[in-house]
Amino acid sequence: MIIAERKPIDEIKAMIADCRRIMIIGCGTCVTVCFAGGEKEVGTLSSAIRMARRLGGKPIEIIEKTVQRQCEWEYIEPLAGEIEGVEAVLSLGCGIGVQALAERFPQKTFLPGVNTSFLGLPLEQGVWSERCQACGNCILDKTGGICPISRCSKSLLNGPCGGSQNGKCEIDPKIDCAWQLIYERLKALGKLDFLLEIQPPKDWSTGRHGGPRKIVREDLIL
Amino acid sequence: MKGAFPPCQVACPLHTDIRGYIAAIARLEFDKAYAIAREPNPLIHVCSRVCTHPCEEKCRRGEVDEPVAIWALKRFVADVVRGKRRFATRNSQFATRVAIVGSGPCGLAAAHDLARMGYQVTIFEAHSEPGGMLTIGIPRYRLPREVIEVDIKQILDLGVELKTNTPIGEEITLSDLKERGYDAIFISTGAHKSRRLGIEGEALAFFGVEFLREINLGRQVEIGRRVLVIGGGNVAIDSARSALRLGAEEVKIIYRRSRAEMPAGEEEVEEAESEGVEFHFLATPTKIISEDGKVVGMECIRMRLGPPDESGRRRPIPIEGSEFTIEGDTIIIAIGQTPDLSFIRPEDGIEITTRGTIAVDPITLATSAQGIFAGGDVITGPGSVVEAISFGKKAAISIDAYLRGETPSFEEPVELEALSQKTLARIKRIGREEVPKLQKPLGFEEVKLGYSVDMAVRASHRCLTCGAGAIIESEKCASCLTCVRVCPYEVPIVNGKGAVIDASQCQACGICACECPSKAITIGFDGFEAILARIEALFEDSPKANPEPLIVGFCCLYCAYADGVDVEKVRSQLPANVKIIDVLCTGKVDSLFLLKAFELGADGVFVAGCLEGDCHNISGNIWARKRVEHVKEILDEIGLSGERLQMYNIPSSEWWKVIEIAKEMVESGKISKR
Repeated sequence: MIIAERKPIDEIKAMIADCRRIMIIGCGTCVTVCFAGGEKEVGTLSSAIRMARRLGGKPIEIIEKTVQRQCEWEYIEPLAGEIEGVEAVLSLGCGIGVQALAERFPQKTFLPGVNTSFLGLPLEQGVWSERCQACGNCILDKTGGICPISRCSKSLLNGPCGGSQNGKCEIDPKIDCAWQLIYERLKALGKLDFLLEIQPPKDWSTGRHGGPRKIVREDLIL
Repeated sequence: MKGAFPPCQVACPLHTDIRGYIAAIARLEFDKAYAIAREPNPLIHVCSRVCTHPCEEKCRRGEVDEPVAIWALKRFVADVVRGKRRFATRNSQFATRVAIVGSGPCGLAAAHDLARMGYQVTIFEAHSEPGGMLTIGIPRYRLPREVIEVDIKQILDLGVELKTNTPIGEEITLSDLKERGYDAIFISTGAHKSRRLGIEGEALAFFGVEFLREINLGRQVEIGRRVLVIGGGNVAIDSARSALRLGAEEVKIIYRRSRAEMPAGEEEVEEAESEGVEFHFLATPTKIISEDGKVVGMECIRMRLGPPDESGRRRPIPIEGSEFTIEGDTIIIAIGQTPDLSFIRPEDGIEITTRGTIAVDPITLATSAQGIFAGGDVITGPGSVVEAISFGKKAAISIDAYLRGETPSFEEPVELEALSQKTLARIKRIGREEVPKLQKPLGFEEVKLGYSVDMAVRASHRCLTCGAGAIIESEKCASCLTCVRVCPYEVPIVNGKGAVIDASQCQACGICACECPSKAITIGFDGFEAILARIEALFEDSPKANPEPLIVGFCCLYCAYADGVDVEKVRSQLPANVKIIDVLCTGKVDSLFLLKAFELGADGVFVAGCLEGDCHNISGNIWARKRVEHVKEILDEIGLSGERLQMYNIPSSEWWKVIEIAKEMVESGKISKR
């Protein structure tokens, strides 16, 4: 799931400094689940912004909306009418949502209300952790189900670096060393021999390095 | 009736929304409570005194500790509004006339409902006063006359015509009524004829209902010093207690079965016992002994209990050779009543059952005679007041359908499933409060007193509001699992279609509704919109001109009333600039409410609940604290200072500290007028 985090209110305030009437649009999928941009957050942020603006002597009117998924044309289409009447739209969707809105309604200003942070999971209620970098060429079969691309600070492919200390990463002692985790897991699985296979340099062209990606399934095209 | 209903509501013959009126009491909305309780019950004041309250037997709180004191709460709502509110008005009027024979609870209920539907209703009553058994049967110390009058007046105010001293069957027969232009007739004459024992000397005895009737009509009744009452029903108990009040020194009740089989209400039996009535079980009289035409005692035989009979109770069997005598100078036989059907003539065409009751269609209550219906004790034999009312209401629907040429439809509500052991184990135990009683020598004044406001509110807080918990808007649900994780009762689950919260188990704590990131959950009582409306209303009448900072306190009503603190007094001592929003558990205080209060102009906001660990809903106050912390951060972020928002945990026994808190917030200097 995409994990995002609300931007500081000061930053948002600066983006909408000149507006007197805006819309805040939440998204009912990933950002709802990570408490960054669901209907509840739309309400909280709207209330906070209205108060902040009133304190600054520049009241603002806010229309609150939440759609099921901002990244689908059909779900954002019904907003067309109301979007007309506002000066800017603050999207609490991930970066995809903001862009979908901007692409569908090119004449309008769309602003990001959240920072799209990573692809991850909730370790527990209120704690999220990164798990995937969308490299486009998954190797989890070789690493005991633990991703060295996203969880090793250096995305190393053949064991830990010299910065691995007591199972922790030299970047931050709060971060587990991914290769230590992989080693422990493979050991438990009795598959330590996996580590003997040397991974050649990864072909990063399936990832961001190959430029913007696109998938086409001819059979599904209407 | 759609959905599943609380067992109390299903058990009530009138399907009263008990949960609804108790929830209104819990929120201090007494007028609303009355309106809800009165809606299905035209004899609410009467029921507040004499209802057999089958609801309490089914109350799910009874599985936790003791049932909610529903009957006492009904009396509370009836008493707080008594005479102040006129309830019913009629919308339309038809020329169609309906005659009702008998003005007991059944006839009165039918009259009320038919009049509200718009019919011209005339009640024919044989006695000088209306009310049937309510007036001439039930003693005044249980059901004061003025209480009956409140209900009857409201019914007559609908335009119902009452003809007292007008027995049917003598000068006017049922058939005459038809000729006089009544399009339908409802017979609700009750069961007023005492059953006989068929023993020697019976002619020297009083009979229960006649005995009570004489007393109720204010006639002189001479009884001796030592009174023997035969029977185990409410009439026997009423007779015994009335005998004590007439001056009897010793009153004994002789009942052929054991205490467990007594049809009388348990509370009635206990009250009689505490007043000094003696009980002799497993004995029945065989002969009344007299000397010179005066009763001197009774010969009885001991009984043992055999296998259950058709009533489900164990059949009493005489023990041969166990005869004994018991001394007494007055005997009152109260072994049951049957309908007196002597007013029915063969030409009326009304079929009678072998049990001596009027035969009716069990669904429509139609008798074998066209346009004539019957209900209440006259078709069932002696039953409760609330059952009689329900027959009256059913008859009204049926008569209306008959007059329109339609088929009546009656729907029975479906009951919620039982509480699971898991849920039961987590519900906070709260003892039930006894209803205070009159501490005076025995008289015909009302014995039972009602709850005070504090007692009633406290008692209402024991209601589990069964089935009025979380409702999920599934199209909004993101299946995020938050509800599953935060519920202190572990009720929600998430399946392929989203979250599912079992209404039978949900305790309506509101935590999931406040935590849900998609706002997909609302709760039945004290939900988001309801509390938001209260916040908005509070600012409507708060003049902003007040020079003092405006403080809004979200205070838990459960905590406030839990430990005997005089809440009204505490409220009256709050400074004028402090406004309270009552909530049933701080777990229902949404972070959006805190922000809303500031947005609307509050200078400071506090949330007051009990100590962590004491919460009515296990973790409601813990979640409230988390939300307060979160909103404090937002307030800091927008430059309003998080210091303006505080969470307080106060022991219920020290609830008056709310006053100090409010003052302290202002005096600390952290909160200034914005």
